[in-house]
Amino acid sequence: MKRVYMDRFIDSIEWVAAGFVGIVAANIFISVVLRNLFTYSIPDSYDFGRLMLGILIFWGIAATSYRGTHITVDLVWGNVGPKYQRMIDVFATLVLLFVVSVQTYTLFDKVMTTRTDNVLTFDLRLPTWPFFMVAWLGDVSAVLLIAIRTYRLIVRPELMAETKIKPVE
Amino acid sequence: MSTDAVAIIGFLALFVLMLLRVPVGMAMGLVGVSGFGYLVGGAPALKLVGQTSMRTVTDYTFGVIPMFLLMGAFVTASGMSRELFRTANSFVGHMRGGLGIATVAACGGFAAICGSSVATAATFSTVAYPEMRRFGYPQSFATGVIAACGTLGAMLPPSTVLAVYGIITEQDIGKLFIAGIVPGLLAITMYMITIAIIGWIRPGFLPKGERHSWRQRFAGLKDIWAPLLLFVFVIGGLYGLPFLPRFTPTEAGGVGASGAFLIGVLSGRLTKDGILGALLQATRTAAAVFTVLIGALIFGYFLTITQTPQKVTELLTGLGLGRYGVLALIMLMYLVLGCLMDAMAMIILTIPIIFPVITHLGFDPIWFGVIIVMTVELGLIHPPVGMNVFVIKSVIKDVSFTTIFKGVIPFIITDLIRLVILITFPIIALWLPSHM
Repeated sequence: MKRVYMDRFIDSIEWVAAGFVGIVAANIFISVVLRNLFTYSIPDSYDFGRLMLGILIFWGIAATSYRGTHITVDLVWGNVGPKYQRMIDVFATLVLLFVVSVQTYTLFDKVMTTRTDNVLTFDLRLPTWPFFMVAWLGDVSAVLLIAIRTYRLIVRPELMAETKIKPVE
Repeated sequence: MSTDAVAIIGFLALFVLMLLRVPVGMAMGLVGVSGFGYLVGGAPALKLVGQTSMRTVTDYTFGVIPMFLLMGAFVTASGMSRELFRTANSFVGHMRGGLGIATVAACGGFAAICGSSVATAATFSTVAYPEMRRFGYPQSFATGVIAACGTLGAMLPPSTVLAVYGIITEQDIGKLFIAGIVPGLLAITMYMITIAIIGWIRPGFLPKGERHSWRQRFAGLKDIWAPLLLFVFVIGGLYGLPFLPRFTPTEAGGVGASGAFLIGVLSGRLTKDGILGALLQATRTAAAVFTVLIGALIFGYFLTITQTPQKVTELLTGLGLGRYGVLALIMLMYLVLGCLMDAMAMIILTIPIIFPVITHLGFDPIWFGVIIVMTVELGLIHPPVGMNVFVIKSVIKDVSFTTIFKGVIPFIITDLIRLVILITFPIIALWLPSHM
């Protein structure tokens, strides 16, 4: 896949997650307004809120894993030369790939269990497994993107130049 | 192999993985599930991964984190910091060190609606630094005051770090936020006093800025209604002020994010790019924090099965140091850890082990939350990691790390004094939440 298509694909994943952040915020705001001004509750707004939260986080993890903006300890990495930095990055990304692959495998089991158990939302009695499935697809994307990151770190490291500042705290 | 040996090997493996730059959450998850699998069995360990991951990301209470992150991102993108600084400057800028004092006040106001130390430091590097330099303030002081004031973002509500502490320890996040108010105001006051003392000791060091008329000052007040309204509505709703709807912390975050968005759009300060950038920023940070949370919860099962928290409690309380001696030891450990890792990682990694010790010694969990956040925030400004210092350096290119660290020293001393005051008088943190 050409780089431009690849980057568009990665951007789209990030936009999916970002869109869900906005939807979760809007869902909470509208629920609060309706509850306080009209004493009306949107059916399943609580369940929709938490299920969309799950979707946004897994899709967000996919983008974060690719961009390399996870919370890390950079003490050793920051004090070695570029050659060792690259080796550390490749090792860390391979571990990341392994962990997220295992997580994806176990999450699929969770999705299937939820489907078998016929877990429903509180008000509208809708099945929750499709939401879990969409969240799981985010984790599948994460595996795919980390694999691409690993490949690029080994073969095209210049494409993976990253910022040292992480916007946490 | 005994459970003690497994626990020790687990911790060693965790530190090696983290030093090799494996994301903290992933390292915790990997060690946690491996250790759990070794002691209990592979199948239950794998089940644990799927269940814990899905339960964590679909927990409505945890929604407080992305919501307040989004609020902070909208506030930052709206440029509300400029009005805050301009207004504060119009009142105190003409005094010796006045621009520094204005920076403290504006950072405090911004932190109260932003919740991020790093965002506060980055924002004021572009807002306050050029103004301080224009009036001849030394680089070391200008950057030092911004680095120190950035830490207010973690103390004043809404604070992401306090929210994470609340989630891990199952404490009321609303109470934790409210508990941070008075210590945050104390920090603002003490930083201002520090600047006044520096100006008094070295009169030529901090020049005076220009004087503004009372008319200009009151005109400036009109510009800061938006951040003030947002803070009162969100935190007031959380506290349960009369005439305001009562919010849960997640609702307060959602309402705050939507409020910041509406204020930004209606005032014309939030552009399309700003909105998109804020959504992306909040998503990335939330994903990074949730990764660590999932890892920490899985690691927590490993800690439980090896009874590590109980053993650490027995060890520390058996030292014969007394409760304040043990507390001092813990604080010291956090200050040392602050040289190695950032605040969020420190909190998530250590609190599950340290928290049982604190409750066993009879300390208040809400008070300890404030104390621990203050302590780990010191790590944001002291060498060699000092995340806020790195952020300032990334924004202001022509300043060296040594210069920033030099400027931050007086504020580190102030922080240490404040820490002693808060440990001596817990009521400072606990008075407001006791009225909720």
